[in-house]
Amino acid sequence: MQENLFSYVNASPSSAAAGLLAGKSFLLQPNLSVGGWPCEAGSTALEKYVALEDATIVEKIKNAGATLAGSARMAELGLGLSGDSSARIFSEGKCNVALISDTMGEARVTASLARAFGFKPSWGIISRFGLIGLAPSMECSGIMARTIGDLSATLQVLVGSDRRDPSMLQERLPDGAKVDEPDRVATLGVIRECIDTLPAAESSALRSVFPAMEKSGTAICEVSLPDFKQFRTVHNIVGSVEASSSAGKYDGVRYGHRAENAENWNEMYLRSRAESFGLIMKSYLFQGAYFQFRDYTAFEDACRIRRRLVDTTKAFYKDVDFLLFPTRSAAQNQRSPASIDEMYDAFALTLPANVTGQPSLTVPGLLQCDGVDLGLQLVGAYLDDARLLAFAGRLVDTISDLHQ
Amino acid sequence: MNYEAVIGLEIHVQLNCPTKMFCDCPNRPGDRPNQNICPICLWLPGALPQLSRNAVEKATLTCLALNCDIQPCSVFDQKVYYYPDLPKGFQLSQFHYPLARNGWLEILGEDEKPKRLRIHEIHMEEDVAKLVHETEGSKRISLVDFNRAGSPLVEIVTEPDMRGPHDAMEFLRALRTQIRYVDTAECSMERGTVRVDANISIRPHGSDEMNTKVEVKNMNSIRHVGDAIAYEIKRQTERVNAGEAIRLHTRLWDPEKEITTPMRGKFSGPCVPDPSVPDVVITESWLNELRSRLPMMPAQKREEFVKQYQLTQEEATLMSAERETAEYFEALAGLCQSPRTAAHWISGQLLPALKDRNQSIAETPITPQRLASLLRMIEAEAVNANAGREVFTLLFESNQSAEEIVAQKGLKQVTDATELEAIAERLIAANPGAVEDFRAGKEKSIGFLVGQAMRASQGKANPKLMREIFLSKLS
Repeated sequence: MQENLFSYVNASPSSAAAGLLAGKSFLLQPNLSVGGWPCEAGSTALEKYVALEDATIVEKIKNAGATLAGSARMAELGLGLSGDSSARIFSEGKCNVALISDTMGEARVTASLARAFGFKPSWGIISRFGLIGLAPSMECSGIMARTIGDLSATLQVLVGSDRRDPSMLQERLPDGAKVDEPDRVATLGVIRECIDTLPAAESSALRSVFPAMEKSGTAICEVSLPDFKQFRTVHNIVGSVEASSSAGKYDGVRYGHRAENAENWNEMYLRSRAESFGLIMKSYLFQGAYFQFRDYTAFEDACRIRRRLVDTTKAFYKDVDFLLFPTRSAAQNQRSPASIDEMYDAFALTLPANVTGQPSLTVPGLLQCDGVDLGLQLVGAYLDDARLLAFAGRLVDTISDLHQ
Repeated sequence: MNYEAVIGLEIHVQLNCPTKMFCDCPNRPGDRPNQNICPICLWLPGALPQLSRNAVEKATLTCLALNCDIQPCSVFDQKVYYYPDLPKGFQLSQFHYPLARNGWLEILGEDEKPKRLRIHEIHMEEDVAKLVHETEGSKRISLVDFNRAGSPLVEIVTEPDMRGPHDAMEFLRALRTQIRYVDTAECSMERGTVRVDANISIRPHGSDEMNTKVEVKNMNSIRHVGDAIAYEIKRQTERVNAGEAIRLHTRLWDPEKEITTPMRGKFSGPCVPDPSVPDVVITESWLNELRSRLPMMPAQKREEFVKQYQLTQEEATLMSAERETAEYFEALAGLCQSPRTAAHWISGQLLPALKDRNQSIAETPITPQRLASLLRMIEAEAVNANAGREVFTLLFESNQSAEEIVAQKGLKQVTDATELEAIAERLIAANPGAVEDFRAGKEKSIGFLVGQAMRASQGKANPKLMREIFLSKLS
């Protein structure tokens, strides 16, 4: 049974290196390159593809003493969570930390399903070299862990510029671990237009968390972002356009699945791609190609609105320390959406951080609705990763103290 | 009706960078197929492009050599189309924000007057792989050689300022000269390191309308560009005169039949910004550093040669046309007395000899030092001009110096008066007819006697001295 949860089990998971992650067992996904491991990224397009070398972040965790348990099963090219087994493997206690690519919130939603911490760092502070991605400007590797300590240690190891990923931020990067900040009252902002989209039970569940937080010395305030629903539109347009370009390399010429007996190269392309991609991926790539070829203006509009969303949310952080959202709505289907619309419904609460590139953390155990842990999501200002993790650590400690 | 042509060029220049544009693979497309490849230029999953600093530097130098305004920020886009020569389904190219704009080159128009031809923009672009079509039994197969995939290119887009084959050919020659001066590309159409597409339309003479253009490709020499343009102007004029409309399409030049033929319409995809290649930001200080590294360009060189070495404009143009020729000339002029003699030997002897031998001036065994020692002997009248040309040919065939060759072959000019007088007396006695003619006033017959003397001395006699001796003996 367990075999089926893994796409690849590492037969020799030992590590000799001593370091910050010594003794920690890591679960990966098959879209993260490990030299010699099959890396099919959940797609027939990468059938029998074996990575030639380690992704930069895999090299980093290995050097820090981590052991690699293997790769989970995952949704096609990391879009959504259909067929993803990371949450189950994690819940069964098979590993300490999982690295899960986060394109629209996959790492954080998985963590909320597994009742764990899930973190998507600021865009550009950890290397994407070796990540078989889909929407480069939206995605990065996320971290799922049982404790803030494991999460911070992992981030500290992963952060750092990489010659092999020149798209990374070139300035000073935030350190995952060190935060020297006096205890003070932190203010959390809740976006009114976001709360309005939630089912009544979930929005009152969220409000019911506020008193405990305020008692623990945190202020809550409401902010307004009438454009909130644009996050989803922007992600849908820009994400699908980038996906259409990124998936252009899956042509069956150099690797992956190639259709048999094609008459010419054009037919080989068409049939190989038709046989490779699933329904959701096909729709998504078609949609991206539509914006590229037929409605480029819409894409340009989306890019412009994206910049406005980045600026608007940035301005919030003058008055609030972090924004607060649920990680997911139990009313939505995160596991097997039947259409792109359903998929976007399912990740509507996490994808804003992918659009803005801001760091985002889901905290387990603080936001329940009808016995389901929805995950309490905190989003920080760009590059405020370390302070976000530090604050979450204090919040969890003080609230559990209050409960005892 | 009288028509004039409106011509613009799109020129792809392959930069002579040591590595490719987005990876460290050697930039040697001609090597054994698929030898210079890596996960990045094959675009394996998980690879990310790493823009080469050297490529940006050479591209920028090229733009400076073509008098462009360098843009402080330029951006790579994905030019999307699907073809087996394109390993990732898009080509990285600067579509929306190019590296440079507003350049120009000056040529001499057909009327011999200077004419400035403008460059609209120059952008960086990666080359695509090469397809080789073969058959395996009865089956047609296509093989892909990725050596060229990711080679650094610049694309130069001119304004439609050219009016005929002459303008286009002169523009390409001037472009090649400028680029070879900054040494950023080989720039050889024959070897495919520069590829030229011409956009051609016609309009009534004197009109300023822009009509539907036709693109012509597949020319592999500057001469072919001129021929293809001339043919296309003639073809379009005939069509328009026959009442047909010109349709926007692409044609291929057929160098065998000397005609253009229509090719299948090329699918042109969209251009979307690439999220993984960082913006190319060029600071003023870096640009100044590049400017300080620019060599003296041909126009300045020409003026300098006129001033410093007293060459004529024509000689100076010849000596400055190529950077290597200019450097050779400067070296040679510094080693012998007369810079003009040096220029004449380079244009009259050295360059034609190199062409015959398929050698470049940079790699020829006739170094400026070896040629200078010969020129010094000629200047000192140690050898005469005829013997000098013979020695020059021999310089190609051995490592000996000019002095050694002259000594070994006994070509040293005879200037010993007694020896020459003995020859003169012998010839006067043997040629009474010529002597008679001279005394009768036919001055030309002295030339005959000098020629005889040169033959008798096996070319070693000093002809000037010999002439004087004949004159004094016969007067």
